[in-house]
Amino acid sequence: MNKKGAIIGVIVVAIVVGIAASYSSPSSETVNLDMGRTHGSISTAMGSPILGDPSAPITIVEFGDYQCEQCYAWFHETKPAIVRDYIDTGKANLVFVDLAFLGKDSIPASMATYCAEDQEMYWEYHDLLYNSQEHVDNGWANSERLKAFASSLDLDYELFESCLDNSKYFKRVQYNIQQARDNDVKGTPGFFIVGPDGQQKIGGAQPFSVFKQILDSMI
Amino acid sequence: MMIGLLILSEYIFLEPYVVAHLPSGSELGFVLIVMIAAFSALVIPMNIFRISILKSSKQKMGGGIFGSIIGAAAGACSCGPIGFAVISTFGSVGAAATAFLTNYEIPLRIIAVAILAVTYFTTVKSLKVECKLNS
Repeated sequence: MNKKGAIIGVIVVAIVVGIAASYSSPSSETVNLDMGRTHGSISTAMGSPILGDPSAPITIVEFGDYQCEQCYAWFHETKPAIVRDYIDTGKANLVFVDLAFLGKDSIPASMATYCAEDQEMYWEYHDLLYNSQEHVDNGWANSERLKAFASSLDLDYELFESCLDNSKYFKRVQYNIQQARDNDVKGTPGFFIVGPDGQQKIGGAQPFSVFKQILDSMI
Repeated sequence: MMIGLLILSEYIFLEPYVVAHLPSGSELGFVLIVMIAAFSALVIPMNIFRISILKSSKQKMGGGIFGSIIGAAAGACSCGPIGFAVISTFGSVGAAATAFLTNYEIPLRIIAVAILAVTYFTTVKSLKVECKLNS
């Protein structure tokens, strides 16, 4: 009887300790996100904040890598026109979802954007990365440069550094990469134009005319 | 070959519509693709003729194919489906290879053009001699 009681007692203590440990241990990620957020077939819960009016009828989901040359081209050549004609007018909004695969600095760059999001500067940091892009893994997006970008945006350096060095958003980026795989995205940039009646996939840095044709057909 | 290279390098898209697009700053890459395709179209058939009809050395054929392969590989954008597949399959080794091909795309294409140009001129020279001897 004593032996039985001891075993039960050990099990109970182990359960209590386990529950206490799960509540007290620092979580690797502090996620304060709408986990139910989806656009079409894509879970954008761990993606970027929405650029534009969240209630816009059309959402452009962009899968990208901050070291991707074609993403850079799209960012500079096509995105401004889309922002001007569709996002600023409330016809569409945009969500960026990471597909960080090109090099060793791709995932840290993606994580850094969410560290900036902690300080409500996601899109500014996102834009800064695409404006600063150089060759893949030549050091332009190494840890020191990512922190320097944060400094240039007057972010809280220690907060940002802690976030980046602890890989706070590593799982978030991995989740987004998995979303790309689940939705058969085979390169960057990749887009889904999600409208009221369905979604249309666009692969590559296609010109504004292609986006216009699809967006206008959905409005 | 030109159409294939232009699709690989994302100057031409096939879905959702057939679209040709020349982003600003990529004009040199486009011109180099056209040159590679043009030289390849000349060099490879000439060497096939030399080998199959004249039963001549395969050495210059190798130069033409080598130049064509370098020119084509340099355009395999690491961001696109081919690069994605390579990186997914070979991991960090694939990423390093595609990054090299992307970062040095223009120099590699220039080298390919140079190889093809040299192969072209030496093949023409050879054909003049070989055709005369055989006739």
